[in-house]
Amino acid sequence: MFPSLDVSTSALVAPRVRMNAISSNLANMSTTHNEVGEPEPYQPRYVVFQTDTTVGAHGAAGVEVSSVQIDRDAQPRYKYEPGHPDRIREGPYKDHVAYPGINMMTEFTDAMEAARAYEANLGAIEIAKDLAQQTLRILA
Amino acid sequence: MEAGRLPGRRGNLPERRGTPLACEQRNDLKAMYQSIFQSSTIPILEQVVGFAQARHTVLAGNIANLDTPGYRVRDVSVEDFQRRLAEAIRDHHRVRSATSPGELTTLPERPLAQVAENTKTILYHDDSNVGLEHQVTEMVKNQMQHNLALSIMTAQFRLLQAAISEKS
Repeated sequence: MFPSLDVSTSALVAPRVRMNAISSNLANMSTTHNEVGEPEPYQPRYVVFQTDTTVGAHGAAGVEVSSVQIDRDAQPRYKYEPGHPDRIREGPYKDHVAYPGINMMTEFTDAMEAARAYEANLGAIEIAKDLAQQTLRILA
Repeated sequence: MEAGRLPGRRGNLPERRGTPLACEQRNDLKAMYQSIFQSSTIPILEQVVGFAQARHTVLAGNIANLDTPGYRVRDVSVEDFQRRLAEAIRDHHRVRSATSPGELTTLPERPLAQVAENTKTILYHDDSNVGLEHQVTEMVKNQMQHNLALSIMTAQFRLLQAAISEKS
């Protein structure tokens, strides 16, 4: 009945999932152990979107989360901390600690983008609702 | 809903007041009410409004269980409702062939999309799949349908009122 609402809703869900990943990346900026307790810097997560043609009509398409990618090749940030229990014992990075390669600026920019996308789609929903209500005014 | 119940209530009025109406008079009255209310789309709209209210309850339950582990989204099939309503109207028409030309206008040209198939919600780790945005959107759509039916109903009652009071 209101395909534009479905499209906009799909675009509300996707930025929210993305925002979850960004929050996770920011929260784990200094995490040096993985989920089972082994010393391994946290690997940042990135959400991949894809078009979803099952929602919407007349050529419009929604968006869906295709996958959450774990960036295993992220270059860690090496910090000189000779007293840290997780420090590297030998090699060129001796006495350094490998921290997750997460750039706070990038994450914040992504977060802002996700928030703006959410707002924009809320705006689109409001407009769609307004259009439907204007249609009702023909009757009243 | 209130307005939609009118036919039944009005129909019962003479009996409730205990007015000593003659049998054929009562039948005449009944026939008149029937011709007023049944030939319009008011009974159909009443069903639509009732369905919208019932569906709202179900959707509100989904939102209430947003954080319940293992909860799965529940919904009432809009498509099924529309199909049954259309069937009922068709049957109604078969019995008493002649109706007002505007009668079928409330029927949608195509049935509503089935919610269960259309919403692709994410299954979370706590085994629940309630998506807040989807539920709210469904609620908004439901509200629009409800308002649409009510607006048409109001317009029809206004027409009746105009006819009764002999002024527009």
